[in-house]
Amino acid sequence: MTTQSTAPGRVLGTNPAALRTAFARRWGPWLLGLLIVGGAFALQSQIYVGQERTVSTIFMFVALAQAWNLIGGFAGYACFGQVVFFGLGGYTTAVLMAHTHVGFWVSLVVSALLATAFGALIGLPLLRLKGHYFAIATLGVAEGMREVVINVPSLTGGGAGITVPTVGNQATTAYLGNNGFYVLFLLIAAGSVAISGLVSRSKFGFALRAVNQDEDAAGAVGVNTTRTKVLTFALSGFVTGLVGATYAFQQVTIFPERLFDVNITVLMVIMVVIGGSGTVLGPVLGAVGLQFVSEYLRQHYTNVHIFLLGLIIIVGVVLLPQGVVPYVRDAVRTREFSLLANVRRYRL
Amino acid sequence: MTTMPATSPAPASTVGPPVLETRGLGRRFGGLQAVSDVSFSVPAGQTLGVIGPNGAGKSTFINLVTGHIRPTSGQVLIDGKDLTGAKPWVIAKARVARTFQIVKPFRGMSIRENVAVGVLHGPDGTSVMSQALAAADEVLERVGLGAQASRSPGELSVADARRLEFAKALALKPRLLLLDEVMAGLRHTEIEPSLELIDSLKREGMTIIAVEHVMKAILAISDRVLVLHQGQVLTSGAPREVLSDERVIEAYLGHRYAKRQQR
Repeated sequence: MTTQSTAPGRVLGTNPAALRTAFARRWGPWLLGLLIVGGAFALQSQIYVGQERTVSTIFMFVALAQAWNLIGGFAGYACFGQVVFFGLGGYTTAVLMAHTHVGFWVSLVVSALLATAFGALIGLPLLRLKGHYFAIATLGVAEGMREVVINVPSLTGGGAGITVPTVGNQATTAYLGNNGFYVLFLLIAAGSVAISGLVSRSKFGFALRAVNQDEDAAGAVGVNTTRTKVLTFALSGFVTGLVGATYAFQQVTIFPERLFDVNITVLMVIMVVIGGSGTVLGPVLGAVGLQFVSEYLRQHYTNVHIFLLGLIIIVGVVLLPQGVVPYVRDAVRTREFSLLANVRRYRL
Repeated sequence: MTTMPATSPAPASTVGPPVLETRGLGRRFGGLQAVSDVSFSVPAGQTLGVIGPNGAGKSTFINLVTGHIRPTSGQVLIDGKDLTGAKPWVIAKARVARTFQIVKPFRGMSIRENVAVGVLHGPDGTSVMSQALAAADEVLERVGLGAQASRSPGELSVADARRLEFAKALALKPRLLLLDEVMAGLRHTEIEPSLELIDSLKREGMTIIAVEHVMKAILAISDRVLVLHQGQVLTSGAPREVLSDERVIEAYLGHRYAKRQQR
C-alpha cells in the first residue's frame, strides 16, 4: 500500500508539464484578476460621467455580494441582516466626519473595524442558530439598528439624515468626485474578490466549507467551528462596513431608510445565489450581470423594468438553482449542457 | 457476571494509563435517561466491541466521549486527562477520532479534500496545502479509495461512503478510534476489507472502540466486549463468553427467546 505512494509516476516535481499546470492553476486566476482590474482602469477613460457612476455601483455590489458570499455562501449561514454592517459603516463615517472632523481615510478604517467587531459580537450568540432562525435573528438586528440610529438624532441626525461636510473649511477630506469613487470602489471590489480567493484556497477555507456541510463532522476532524464561523462573520462585516463607509461619503447626505434598506441585503443574496454561492467568481458574475440587466431594462423598458427584472430572476433561479458558476463547472465536467437536465438533477 | 479467564483470547496489551476512562458517565434528555452511570476503561492497544439493542445508548455514548453531546453527569478521561464536556475539536486534537453512523461527507468537496480537512485541522495541523493533500492521498490508498480521490462524495457507493468516514478519522492519526457501525449496510464481501483494515490498525497499536451490530465483525476484532442495555452497562468480558451470556441474549432477542434457547 505504501509503495504505491512512492511509485515514480506519482512523484511531483519531475514532470515539467505537470509543473506548468500547477503553476497556471496557482497563479492563473490572479493574473486574470489583474488584467480585469487593468481593463476597468482603461474603461474609465472611455465612458462618460453617468456611465461612470453606474459602473461604480456595479463595483460596489461586487464587493457587497462577495462579503455576503463569505458568510452565506462559504459558511452556509444565510444572513438577512447583512445591511446592518453597511449602515453601521456608513453612519460611523458620517458621524465621525461631521462631528469630530476626522478625515475620511481614518473614518473609513474605523468604520470597517467597528463593523468587524460588531460582526464578532453578534456572531457569537447568533451563529448558534441555524437556517431560518439565523436569517430572522440577523434581520431583526438590522431593523433594530435602524431604529437605534433614528432615535439618537443628536448624534445621527435621526430620520432627517446626516450630511458629511464636503465643501469649505468644514471639509476634512476633499470630495473624491466620480473619478475618485470609481477607483475606490474598484479597489474595494478587487480586494473583496482577492479575500474570497484567498479564503477559498486556504486552510481556513477548508474549515469553512466543512462547517457549511456538517458542523458535527467538521468538529470531529478538529475544526474549531465556533471560531471559524465568528471570524467569517467578522470578515464579512469588515468588507460590508468598508463599502458602507465609502457609500456614505459618496452620497454626502445619508438617511436611515437608505443605509439600512433591507433591499440591499436582498440584492446581495440574489446576486450570490444567481452567480453561484460558495464560489469566488459567482458573486462577481451575479453582481455584474444583475446590475447590467437591471440598468439595461431601466433605460429601455422604463415602465415594466422591475416586472421584467423579477421575471428574469425567477426564470434564472428555476433553471439554474445552483447558480451559474457551479452549473458551468458541472456541465463542463459531465459534458451535459442541457438546462432541462440541470433542472432535473437539482429538482427531481 | 461469570468471568472465565481461560476463554479470554485477549493478547498481552501494554500496561499504562488507560487511553479512555469514563466514570459514572450519564446523559439525561428531559425525562429520558439515555446513558447512565457508565464506568469503564480501555487500556492502550485494546479493541473494545460495544454491543446492545437499538436505543441502548451506544451512539449517545460515543457522542459523550467525543464532545458532540455534553454529559449531564460523570467524567471522561483521555490519557488520564479530564476532558469532560470538551468541544469536539478539542477531543479531536487529543487524537481521538470517530466515524458517524449516518455518514457525514463534506459535499461539494472532492474525496481527497474531505480527508485533507482532518489533516489540516487535526492534531498535527499543517498549513501547507500540498502536504495535506498528499497525506490525504496516503490515507485514501490505505482504506482502498485511492482511485476515487478526485470524485465527489455523492458518487460513492454505500461501502465506499463508509470507507470515506474511516479515512476522515484516520487523517487525524488517532490514538483512540471510535467506530460507530462502520459495517452497517455492507455485504459480506464488503465487510472483509474493513476487517482487514481494522486488524492492521490493531497491529499498529491503535486503541479502538467499535460499536457494531454485525456479530461476525465483533467476534473478529474485539479483545473485549461491553454490552449496553437501556443506557447502562449490562456486562463486559471476553467476546464469546459475553455473547453466550443469557442476559445478553435476553436483552437482544427478548425474554421468551432466551427461555427457549435454554431448553
